[in-house]
Amino acid sequence: MITRRTVAERLPDRWRTGLVSVIQFLLPFLVIGLAWELAVRSGLITSSSLPAPSTILAKVWALSVREGVLWRHLTRSLYRLSVGYALAMGSGLLFGTLLAMNRILREMFSPILSLLISVPTIAWVPVFLITMGLGDRTVIAAVFLGGFFAITYNTIRGIEMVDVSRIRAARTMGARGLHLFASVLLPGSSVSVITGLRLGIGYSWRALVGGEMLSAMVQWGIGKMIYQARFWNDVTVMFVGLITIGVTGFLLDRLLIRWLERVTIERWGMVAER
Amino acid sequence: MTDNIIQIHGVSKLFGKGDREVVALRDVDLQFREGEFAVLIGPSGCGKSTMLYLIAGFESPSSGQILLNGKEIRRPGPDRGFVFQDYALFPWKSVLGNVMFGLRRNGVPHREAKATAMRFIQMVHLQGFEHAFPHTLSGGMKQRVGIARALAYDPKVLLMDEPFGALDAQTRKLMQQEMVSIWEEAKKTVVFVTHSVIEAVYLGDRIVVMTARPGSVKGMVNVDVPRPRKYTEEHYLHIREEVLALLEEEVAKSVKNLVEKDRRRDPDVTPA
Repeated sequence: MITRRTVAERLPDRWRTGLVSVIQFLLPFLVIGLAWELAVRSGLITSSSLPAPSTILAKVWALSVREGVLWRHLTRSLYRLSVGYALAMGSGLLFGTLLAMNRILREMFSPILSLLISVPTIAWVPVFLITMGLGDRTVIAAVFLGGFFAITYNTIRGIEMVDVSRIRAARTMGARGLHLFASVLLPGSSVSVITGLRLGIGYSWRALVGGEMLSAMVQWGIGKMIYQARFWNDVTVMFVGLITIGVTGFLLDRLLIRWLERVTIERWGMVAER
Repeated sequence: MTDNIIQIHGVSKLFGKGDREVVALRDVDLQFREGEFAVLIGPSGCGKSTMLYLIAGFESPSSGQILLNGKEIRRPGPDRGFVFQDYALFPWKSVLGNVMFGLRRNGVPHREAKATAMRFIQMVHLQGFEHAFPHTLSGGMKQRVGIARALAYDPKVLLMDEPFGALDAQTRKLMQQEMVSIWEEAKKTVVFVTHSVIEAVYLGDRIVVMTARPGSVKGMVNVDVPRPRKYTEEHYLHIREEVLALLEEEVAKSVKNLVEKDRRRDPDVTPA
């Protein structure tokens, strides 16, 4: 008996599942992109208000490979993001831990935290522009503030939820203070802390784009690129900016946060592996 | 002087305040001898775990005093080892890392701590699993790690809070047998909490039966049967009956208390 096998069936299993997930990932993009392309080409949408995907991709190519300005915008943005986010991470973890460990501090500061968390980060930027100037510092402050609350809150929650038996076990064996924190409280709260880091990097990234748009002395940055495109009515560049923001945010999550999850909480069996 | 390593004098423990106040323990006087295997048994909610927490220093008594080697217990410390019902292993550390924890905390250099930990891992028959993470182990294996971790740093007393309560019947029986040889090898004072009479009589030198809430000492039974014990021996079965008789009165009382509490809450419920 002769059985016919498709190309896909002849591939090794690992390749096949890899191929399937790549197709699953790309298919929605392809479908939407194609519909969009057709809508623009058929004149359903005017290309001056919404350029076709092919136009945008050509522009991405031009700005990145040919002219290189996209990289310069992106690296400036990533620099501000890393400084602001590192500050948010350090202080959020520290502050969150202090509040989780000390009831008096928590009662003193949690009203202020609840009050501040409802203020959109972008609303602070005009204030920062006056106090910190029109340059990098304002943008970094916005990035910091964007990430700080999510990291702080999730650190508090994470430490509060560390299994009391584990703390007791560690204390019985002589762990105290900083060592108790580093060896039990921090890893014990990592599921929640990583959620905070993930939300935090998203909020920081958004705050960055807003901050760059509002800071007059900032010349380079993805947010600035979009903002400047407004003066030339260049919708295509705006879309290049939007796509860059989306893709970079996605990559930050996949490369940093997913990596962190894989080497910690998934390895330790604290969450199901994905 | 006395060879009582733990002395409990007139200890009471209250939880909550006002209307919600619950007396978990009332006027408990109890001694544990150096090197003995003591079992605390009682109906659920009788405060036997609370007693163990007080000795561990996780809670402090509302009145009275607990002495360990003549010194009052104020906080948890490495002169005690604790084995939890839910294992309480550190999932972010390997088996070896878990067992080394207490040694490293108490100033033992890394190389030496590792060697000692490996010895205890062998004692609980987990050699070959020292680099495994706890979530990959079965319940019985996890509790072996729990026991090795609590013994490795050489505490004076081993406190065990229903350590085999979460295990299936077969594993539980095996762990009880191994516990006897571990105890004989490690030569520790053990205070072991359980609600299983079979387990208590199989393991203990002495069984302390506690009353229903508020918990106090109802009676004590010495198990003068040489180890390894056989479940079928006549004298042994006799002791089991004795413990059971003491316990059943208290179980009946605690059930009655529960029903009455329900009735107060909901007058339509009639007692069974």
